[in-house]
Amino acid sequence: MKRRTFLKLSAVGGAGAALAGCGHQAEQLIRFIPDETLIPGVATWKSGVCAQCSAGCGMQVRVMQGDAEVFRDGQFGVVKMGLAKKLAGNPDHPVSRGKLCVRGEAGLQVTFNPDRIKHPLKRTGLRGAGQFTQISWDEAVQELLAHLQPLAAPQAAVSLAFLTRPLGGQRGVLVERFLSGFDGARLVPFELFDDAVLRTANRRSFGYEQLPTFDLAHCSYVISFGADFLGTWNSPVAQSVGYGTLRQNRSGIRGKFVQVEPRMSQTGANADEWVAAHPGTEGLLALGIAHVLLKEHFGHAEATGSAGMQIDGWREGLPEYSPEAIAWKTGVAPETTTRLAHEIAAQSPALAVVGGAPLAHTNGMFTALAVNALNALLDSVGKPGGLQFTPRPPLSTSGSAQDISEEGKVDSIRTLAQQILSGQRPIELLLLYEANPVFATPPGWQVREALEKVPFIASFGTFIDETSRLADLILPDHSSLESWIDAAPESGAAEAVISVAPPAMRPLHDTRALPDLLLDLARRLGGRTRQALPWKSYEEMLQAALAPLAHHPGSVSAKDSDEFWKKVQEQGGWWSTDASLVPKAKAPADSSRPMKNQEPQFAGPAAEYPFYFLPYASQPFFDGRHANLPWMQEMPEVLSTGMWGTWVEINARTAATLQIEQGDLLEVASPNGKVRAPALLSPGIAPDVIAMPAGQGHEDYGRYASGRGANPIKILAPQVEPTTGSLAWAGTRVNITKVGKGELVLLTGGPTEWGAEKVTR
Amino acid sequence: MAHRWAMVIDLDRCTGCETCMAACHAENNIATVDAKQAARGRAMHWIHVERYWEGEFPNVRARFQPVLCQQCDAAPCEPVCPTYAAYHNEDGLNAQVYNRCIGTRYCANACPYTARYFNWWNPVWDKPLQLQLNPDVSVREAGIMEKCTFCNQRIVATEIQAKAENREVQDGEVKPACVQSCPTTAMVFGDLDDPNSQVSRLARSMRATTLLSELGTNPKVIYLERESSHGND
Repeated sequence: MKRRTFLKLSAVGGAGAALAGCGHQAEQLIRFIPDETLIPGVATWKSGVCAQCSAGCGMQVRVMQGDAEVFRDGQFGVVKMGLAKKLAGNPDHPVSRGKLCVRGEAGLQVTFNPDRIKHPLKRTGLRGAGQFTQISWDEAVQELLAHLQPLAAPQAAVSLAFLTRPLGGQRGVLVERFLSGFDGARLVPFELFDDAVLRTANRRSFGYEQLPTFDLAHCSYVISFGADFLGTWNSPVAQSVGYGTLRQNRSGIRGKFVQVEPRMSQTGANADEWVAAHPGTEGLLALGIAHVLLKEHFGHAEATGSAGMQIDGWREGLPEYSPEAIAWKTGVAPETTTRLAHEIAAQSPALAVVGGAPLAHTNGMFTALAVNALNALLDSVGKPGGLQFTPRPPLSTSGSAQDISEEGKVDSIRTLAQQILSGQRPIELLLLYEANPVFATPPGWQVREALEKVPFIASFGTFIDETSRLADLILPDHSSLESWIDAAPESGAAEAVISVAPPAMRPLHDTRALPDLLLDLARRLGGRTRQALPWKSYEEMLQAALAPLAHHPGSVSAKDSDEFWKKVQEQGGWWSTDASLVPKAKAPADSSRPMKNQEPQFAGPAAEYPFYFLPYASQPFFDGRHANLPWMQEMPEVLSTGMWGTWVEINARTAATLQIEQGDLLEVASPNGKVRAPALLSPGIAPDVIAMPAGQGHEDYGRYASGRGANPIKILAPQVEPTTGSLAWAGTRVNITKVGKGELVLLTGGPTEWGAEKVTR
Repeated sequence: MAHRWAMVIDLDRCTGCETCMAACHAENNIATVDAKQAARGRAMHWIHVERYWEGEFPNVRARFQPVLCQQCDAAPCEPVCPTYAAYHNEDGLNAQVYNRCIGTRYCANACPYTARYFNWWNPVWDKPLQLQLNPDVSVREAGIMEKCTFCNQRIVATEIQAKAENREVQDGEVKPACVQSCPTTAMVFGDLDDPNSQVSRLARSMRATTLLSELGTNPKVIYLERESSHGND
C-alpha cells in the first residue's frame, strides 16, 4: 500500500483503524465507513426468500452488526456491516407460515461458506483440471462479451445454451428474455429429482401442468404412494405444517396416514400403516383400491372427468385390477387392498399423494395417472381436505418452468448431450448456473463428455463443483442473502403467492448478482437483447414486473406504487386469495389414448442382479447440493442416524443370509458401474431392495464434501420415463459383494438397539 | 416474577424432520467436530432426534423422539459439580456457567439423558463461517461442558423487553429456536406456573409423560405420546 492511500484510509476510518492495523495483516489496516447504520448488539429481522430448493418459502433473516473482511472498490478491508445470523420462516407467508426445513435453516452456511468463489476466475490449466487464476470483473465481462457478440448476430450458425437449476419467478423471466436475443438459444433446466412426470400427468388428468397443493389440515385419510412429503418432496414445509393439524388440533379427529413404499422414508416412519409394495407397482395398488370402490358403488366412474378416462377399463370398473389379480405383482395381500379401500370410503375427505420413486420408473406415467384417477374417484380435487392447484399470480409471465416449456425452447440435459455429441446442434457457448449434471446424471448420458466438447463454458455459480469445474470463465453470483431474490411458488399455498426480498446483507466477496450481470451484458450487447431487457437493475425490473399486482386485492394495500413496492419488500412478498385468480383448468391438451397397465422395466437381468436399487433424496443433502455445508454433514439422517458419509441400506434378514454385518464394506454393482459403501442393516426395507442416499461422493465440491462417501447416481442405467424423458432413477437392478470392512459414522443405532424398546414410560 | 419454563413435545406431531437440530446449531453457536470425532461419539447436538425401531419387516415401525436437556427439577447433574458450574437458576433452569466449568465431566456421567456435550477440542470455524456466530451466545472452548439452555438468551431478552414495556411476558412470547422452527408445531414452550398457559394445558393431557420418570428427576420437558389410528377395522 502506498503511504498516501494509507493516510487517506486512516483519515476515513479514524484512529481505530490505525490501531487495528498495528502488527496485523495489511488488509486489517483498512477500515471502511460502515455500510449502514446499525446499533451494535441489536438485531433486526429482514425479509428473505429461501433459495435452498424450489419451494419458495418466505423467510426472515436476523441481521446484526459485525466486523467482516470484505472486498470493496477494488480493495480488501474490514468493515462493520450487517451480517445474517439466523434464518427463520416468515410467519405471514402462506407457504412457510413461520417455519423452515432442516436444509433451509442451514442456508446461512452457503453465504458464509469458506469455499465460495470470491472473485472472477479464468481457467489456466487443462479443462477440468481445476486450475484457475483471478481476473477482474472488467476482463471477465469483456471476455464473455467477446463470445456472446457473434452469437447475437441474426441467423448465427451456431448458438448457446443456458444450463441452470430450474429458475422460478422473475429471475427465470430475465434469463428467458436474455436468451430471446440469440437465435436458436436453448434453455436447459436441470434437476435430478425433477417431478416432470407428475406435472405432465396432472395436465392430462386435471388440466394443470403443476405440482399439487395438499390440504392436509382438513383431511381425514391420506394414502401416499412413495412421496417423501414431510422430508424432501414438493413443498415439505407447507406439507409439514398441514400434517401437524392432520394429527392433532382437531377435537376428536386424528387423520389416518398410510404410506406405500419399499424402503421406509422419514415420511413413511410417521405412517399409521406402512405398506411395502414391490417397486414400480404402486399404480396397480391405487387401481386395486379404485376397483373395490367402483365395485361397491363408491363414487361414479363417469364423474371423474378426464382423470378417469386416462385409464383403460375405467368405465367398466377396472376388471383387470381386482385385489386378487394384482396381489402377485404388488406383493400386497388382497385383504389389505380391500381393507384400505373400505377405510378410505369410510373416512372422507380422503386424499392420495404420489411422488418420488414410484414416478421414477419406466412406467411412472401410468402410476401417476392411476393415482390421479383414484383422487378423482375420491372427489378430492379442488375440495377442502383434498388437493388443489395453487393459483398463479396475475403477471404476464410468471416465469415458472411449465410456462417456459410450452414455448418449446427447452431441452433436457440428456437431449443436449446427445445433440452435442452427434454434432446435430453445434453449441458454441454454454452458460452454466447452479446445476450440476456431471454429478447427478448416470454416466450413460455422457454429460461430461458432451460438455467437454463445448468450445467455451462460462459459469455464474457460487461454488466449484463437478460441472462448473469444466468452465473456462467463472463470474460468481452473490449469495441469495446478498441479492434481490424472488420466487413464484408452484405449490404449497391455497392462494397466489409471490415471494420477494431485498438483499439482507451486503456482499462479502467480489461477486456480482447474476440478474444485474445479465442486464449489464444486455446493455452492452445492444439490439434485440437490449430491447428485451431495458431495465437498469434487477430491482427496477422486479418493481416494474410486480407493479400490476397493486391493482388486485391482496396482502398489500397502498396509495401509490412506491408505497406498494415498499410494503411488498417489508412483507417479503405479495399474496392474494382473490377468487378471480383461481386458475381455470386447461382442456387436456394431450389426446392420448387410455393407458393400459405397464410393467416397470429394470436394467440388469434379475438372475445376475437380484436387488432393486433405490437411490433416495437425502434428508440433509437433498440431491447433493447441500453436501458442502458442515452442519448438514454432521446432521444425522434421522432413520439411519448416519453422518459424514454414505451407506448401503439392506434388510437385516437378507444381510444375515448373506453373512453381511453392520459396517461391512459392500460393493454395489449394476450393469453400468460399481460403488462402495458400508452396510447399514435396517428392518425398514424390503428384502429385495438395496437403498442408498444421494448427495455424497463428490469429487470436487469444497473441503467438506470432496472425496467423501459414494454417489449412487453413478451406477444408474440411463433409463428414462418415455413420455417425459425424465431419468427413471429407480429403474436399475444391482448385486452386492462384501469386500471388506467399512466405516459408518452413526449418532446412535445399530442392531443391538433394535427390539420393542419403549420410547417413554 | 420468576417463571417455571417448560417444553411440551407432541410425538404425534413430530415427524423427525430435524429442523430443530439445525435451528439449534445456528442459534447457539454449536461447533461441528468432524467425521473422525463424530465417529467417536463427540458430535454435539444439544437437541437430537432419537429413532427407535419396533417390529420386523414388514410389520415395522420407527418412532422419533427429540431429546434435549430435560431441565430437571431434581437434576442429577447439579450436585456432582465440584465448581457449581451446573446450578439451578431462579426460573428453575439447569444453568451451566461456562467460566466456572473445569471439565471434570461428572455432570455428563450423571445425566441419564446423555444431554450434555463436552468440548474435546477448541471449536473451529473456517473463515468466514465465524461471521454467522450469534453474538448473544458465548462460544465454548476445549475442556468445557455445554448443553441446551432452553435458549436462555431469548428468555432474558423477552423478559427485559416486557419489563421495559411495564408488562408481563405473554404466553407463547418466548420461543426457543427449536420451538420457533418446528414445522408441525410439535414443540410448545411456556410457563408451567401459569395454569392457563398452553404448556400447562398440554401437560395435563392424558398423553403426557416424561422420559425415565422412575428416576425421579422431574423433568420440565413433557412428551405427549404418539397415537395410532386404525381406520374402521
